[in-house]
Amino acid sequence: MAFQLVRLSSGTLRRLSKNANQAPLRWRSTAANPLIRDVNVPPTCITSLNSGLRVATEDTGAPTATVGLWIDAGSRYETEQTNGVAHFLEHMAFKGTSKRSQTDLELEVENMGAHLNAYTSREQTVFYAKCLKQDVPKAVEILSDIITNSTLGSNEIERERSVILREMQEVETNLQEVTFDYLHATAYQETPLGRTILGPTENIKSISREDLQDYIKTHYKAPRVVLAGAGGVDHNELVKLAETHLKKLDTIDGPVPEIKPCRFTGSEVRLRDDSIPLAHIAMAVEGCGWTDPDNIPLMVANTLLGAWDRSQGGGANNASSLAAIVAEDNCAHSFQSFNTCYKDTGLWGIYFNMVWNIQEAWKKMCTSLTERDVIRARNLLKTNMLLQLDGTTPICEDIGRQMLCYNRRIPINELEQRIDSVTAKDIMNVCMKYIYDKCPAVAAVGPVEQLPDYNLIRSGMYWLRL
Amino acid sequence: MASRVVGFQKFGTRFLAKQAKRFSWNSRHFASQADPPKIPIDRSELGCKQPPLSEPLPGVPTPNYATVKNHNSETKYTVLPNGLRIASETRFGQFCTVGVVIDSGSRYEVAYPSGVSHFLEKLAFNSTSVYSDREKIMTELENHGGICDCQSSRDTFVYAISADSRGLDAVSKILAEVVLRPQISTEEIDITRQAIQFELETLGMRPEQETLLMDMIHAAAYRDNTLGLPKLCPAPNIPKIDQKLLFTYLKNHFTPSRMVIAGVGVDHDRLVESVQKYFVDQKPVWEENDELILPGSSLNVDDSVAQWTGGLVQEECEIPQFAGPSGLPELAHVVLGLESCSHQDPDFIAVCVLNMMMGGGGSFSAGGPGKGMYTRLYTNVLNRYHWMYNATAYNHAYLDSGLFCIHASAPPTHVRELVEVITREMVAMAGSVGNSELRRAKTQLQSMLLMNLESRPVVFEDLARQVLATGQRKSPKYFIEAIENISADDIQRVAQRLLRSSPAVAARGDVSKIPQLRDVQSGLMDPNGRIPGSRHRMSLR
Repeated sequence: MAFQLVRLSSGTLRRLSKNANQAPLRWRSTAANPLIRDVNVPPTCITSLNSGLRVATEDTGAPTATVGLWIDAGSRYETEQTNGVAHFLEHMAFKGTSKRSQTDLELEVENMGAHLNAYTSREQTVFYAKCLKQDVPKAVEILSDIITNSTLGSNEIERERSVILREMQEVETNLQEVTFDYLHATAYQETPLGRTILGPTENIKSISREDLQDYIKTHYKAPRVVLAGAGGVDHNELVKLAETHLKKLDTIDGPVPEIKPCRFTGSEVRLRDDSIPLAHIAMAVEGCGWTDPDNIPLMVANTLLGAWDRSQGGGANNASSLAAIVAEDNCAHSFQSFNTCYKDTGLWGIYFNMVWNIQEAWKKMCTSLTERDVIRARNLLKTNMLLQLDGTTPICEDIGRQMLCYNRRIPINELEQRIDSVTAKDIMNVCMKYIYDKCPAVAAVGPVEQLPDYNLIRSGMYWLRL
Repeated sequence: MASRVVGFQKFGTRFLAKQAKRFSWNSRHFASQADPPKIPIDRSELGCKQPPLSEPLPGVPTPNYATVKNHNSETKYTVLPNGLRIASETRFGQFCTVGVVIDSGSRYEVAYPSGVSHFLEKLAFNSTSVYSDREKIMTELENHGGICDCQSSRDTFVYAISADSRGLDAVSKILAEVVLRPQISTEEIDITRQAIQFELETLGMRPEQETLLMDMIHAAAYRDNTLGLPKLCPAPNIPKIDQKLLFTYLKNHFTPSRMVIAGVGVDHDRLVESVQKYFVDQKPVWEENDELILPGSSLNVDDSVAQWTGGLVQEECEIPQFAGPSGLPELAHVVLGLESCSHQDPDFIAVCVLNMMMGGGGSFSAGGPGKGMYTRLYTNVLNRYHWMYNATAYNHAYLDSGLFCIHASAPPTHVRELVEVITREMVAMAGSVGNSELRRAKTQLQSMLLMNLESRPVVFEDLARQVLATGQRKSPKYFIEAIENISADDIQRVAQRLLRSSPAVAARGDVSKIPQLRDVQSGLMDPNGRIPGSRHRMSLR
């Protein structure tokens, strides 16, 4: 009954849907033609406009929809002086445009029962709206208005500085985020990927209207923008809406800035603070960029190590043998392996609260793995990736991100096939290529007195007997 | 990155000790130890030979996509001879959500020590007759890309699994095993006792108070009966609950006629077939083995109707603060509750609209427009009183009653004003309703309903609960229309109905300044919502 929905509190469902969800394809063994496979999801339609702007949609016929603008721009494109501008712009997005004041914008969205949201990462900037199907045209118009006509009023800019500084304080209380920022700072030192998304305090205090306008002019260009939609969206209608409302993006001239490669440096940074109860450590080697085919085996390897925290209790039922050992030895509070990709580089590593075993587990992956372990990891990886695609917003995010990263949406059966083709030997191969005897980047925050010194960590990356 | 300190020596000894231990692990797992792999000279040759992810993989079959036109979703129902109900819907996607929903929960625990449901929830998906331990269940789920969860609320248990639709039979088997044939071993009970103890401790250490407050406001509203019984196991009951008691409860409450099995994204006939096999042909463990049950007990189902009593439940205590420089002071929490109605009551939809109109949230919540910034608890409360940290309206609906409440928090010095402000807002609910605020609340409720139903597990729960309560599912369209038909008069009528009930109040933290319950009651009956003894300025509006 609606009462459950209205209450919004059905925990089961939230938990189930977090990891989970849906993606597609029901296979029929009777399929006569081995070259065609039935896939129980709607296709992703893609259109490139003359301006270079791409429109990508998946029409599920739902009564609701998510539409958004995925922009190939983020803090990576900033300089030392402008670091923080991309994020600042995200904050200014809902502060009014030449057509509507902040209050008008808020009321319009609230009255539609819609939601507006935005986020900035190192390489992407995203503005999206979730709304009823019939409000899609209006939502696209509002999103277009926001990115092309933002007022950037000086009063609002001044007010937003303190909001961002406050947000920065909040980020600083999240030690995981702090640790990852340090990891980037050391791994990509002296390059734009090494800088934070929020930017340094002095920039937040000094960023001007001109800086913001410059950034828009340089980066918000049609070929770098994807209009993505999922749920009750009509592809042709969205194409027309893009042509009508996003025209302004074509008129901005100047070349698309080229992206400079970011060098990875094996190195470390420690911030010792004994007043923090737990050490927070991230350790990573250089992984690969989004499109590199090695990404798939690296993701399987990543899943093999998995994640664990104390509330899960004994690691007995965990597919990861590392989890079983950590749980048994009680030597860490939690760990979480990660594979962060950028266009041309990536960070493959692990985040944890203490050190032991991790390097042993890494080396094991370079040299000895059983097919059984790998099959489990492949199944888990597919579950993690596919179960998430439930609801218009996760699907729309998947479309937008894939369009920016791959310039296409990988068909679900191709993704499954790529994952299924990974063998234990493939994983050992890529681990040998990316991990074995490589210099890791290490970031450590908290009571890190007992963390081995860098040379010892480095020597843990190989075995003498091999 | 200031201080670089390396405690090498201390570390060294521990490291060596660990290494020695680790060696045994290595040798256990290294199948190929005798013949260690060679490191290739040129490692750049290694790696995946497939084309980049930006290009199609050759040889992949062309997908034949589903389209909106050839996809239809209808609800199918089956009632088995033993009274077990089955309902299902088809849906886009390779995954399904299947589960069992049972008319059971803490409201039926009056003859039992409170906490039985809490134990059963924690014990879910452990060993069963067929699966000798949890690991076996998890491995089976992994094979079908599945995840599982169990949640109990005051009146419902939900066991659910999301998995690849091709694994439907295995999923049904796991569900039947965990629901009807759990082992509940002594060891599992011990672990559960620890887990519950740990959960209670964690709840006491966290600044978030919602879980504790919801138990308290229900206890105040339905004193010592049905919905007022605690959902959280009280600490003194942890050692008391044992295997026989749990099986006795299961035997009485987990019966076919109190159960619905629902599936979303599944083929109905295949679901029915699997259910017949695992839920009917194979018997519950308590029917096979009498010794599991407390002898001669009369711990039958409590069929009493929920009795609203109203009242105050107050706990003076210290509430943990949020970590870090968030700048938040210590907070005191108050929940003010009124009796609303059952989800089967004609006024139910109007109460939901009213709830949406009140809205509210936290004063520092993030996110763009769309979070209810123009609801009354924002415009009249959070935007006006800078000391108010949070004010949110909730409506809990059950089969025979309902609880409408507003949860608010503020520094202890403002507890009295907090109650005055919230009381006044409650009284104002029966006053005039603006056209635009009503329109907005209705649209937001409609969109929230539809947006929640985007998620397959939510559709599952909606389907299963509706069938459990009424035997069939009303479509979202029915609710959308019912919401559309709500008028300002309906809102006023239900608000007046709410205000006729005697208030329930829950308070936690440093709440010494809270007004007397009878004063709150007079305040709710005063046309201006003025609590006796409040300063004059409070009644200006």
